Amino acid sequence: MSGTKVLLLILGMAIVTYIPRAIPAIFVDKLKFSPKVEKFLKLIPYTAMAALIFPGVFAVDAEKPLIGIVGGAVAGILAWKKCPVMVCVLAAIGADFLLYTLL
Amino acid sequence: MQETKKKQYLAGMKAAVPVILGFIPVGIAYAIMARQAGFTVSETCAMSAMVFAGASQMMAVGMTEQGAAILVIVLATFILNLRHLIMSTCVMNRMEDGSTKTRLLASFGVTDESFAIFTTQAKHRSAVYFLGLITVTYLSWNVGTFIGAVASDFLPEILTASLGIALYAMFISILVPNLTNNWKLGALVAMTAVCNSILTQLIPSSWALIVSTLLCAFLGVFFVDLKEEGGDEQ
Repeated sequence: MSGTKVLLLILGMAIVTYIPRAIPAIFVDKLKFSPKVEKFLKLIPYTAMAALIFPGVFAVDAEKPLIGIVGGAVAGILAWKKCPVMVCVLAAIGADFLLYTLL
Repeated sequence: MQETKKKQYLAGMKAAVPVILGFIPVGIAYAIMARQAGFTVSETCAMSAMVFAGASQMMAVGMTEQGAAILVIVLATFILNLRHLIMSTCVMNRMEDGSTKTRLLASFGVTDESFAIFTTQAKHRSAVYFLGLITVTYLSWNVGTFIGAVASDFLPEILTASLGIALYAMFISILVPNLTNNWKLGALVAMTAVCNSILTQLIPSSWALIVSTLLCAFLGVFFVDLKEEGGDEQ
């Protein structure tokens, strides 16, 4: 792909990625949602995160599903014990690092 | 007034620190793919600076390498990033201040990660906090890209591989504390996980994510009780 074409590609991608991000920035504070819609919007973070985690976490390392399972479980247990996010993330990375050296 | 704004901005930056561990290695991975696909260093970095959407950038350089047409890649990018419409709606609905101009700037930084952090923590709801958050996520994405573009074999492989769990671990540790005292919300999360795992087998995963997020949130309206969420309900 030539330089001009790459530039065109990047511009096109930038535009179609920004539009869905920007539309709510213009409209959302001018709308008044009903309590049912408010609740729906409040639940989306939880369902979106569930869908971002599953099934992707099992494929962190496509050949070694254990990497995703162990790392995810370590983060989950520590989070259950109310550890800060950063601690959970570092522990999960540490557990996977250990696992890689053992496997 | 200025002082509190500065404090909120710094609080936002601090909340985004875990994302650094995820974005730098993924940025490196993207940049290595882009360089292998024939993109120059400046093209590789320009894409991260202008698009700021990891999964779609990886897809785009992969498709370029396979000789796909520009229009097809742009369309695929649009579909993959359509989920940001939902996420940005939640972010903007939660943000309690900010002019349209500020919000337009903030919306550029709506990603899976900034959305997850901003919409689930109890205290901060200001535009400035969100701007602090995305300053850190944007910088780490671009720093990661730059490192990968200029020095692809800079980090030992075992370290980058271990960092692959970082973003998942972050989502998990944001999600779990919200479920410990609300079993109905936990049930909704489990239901969504199952739903998305099944749908991913049947339709492209970007659509599966959108469908299961919206469908399960809709179903949750009828049985989940959010009032336990401590002080969030006004």
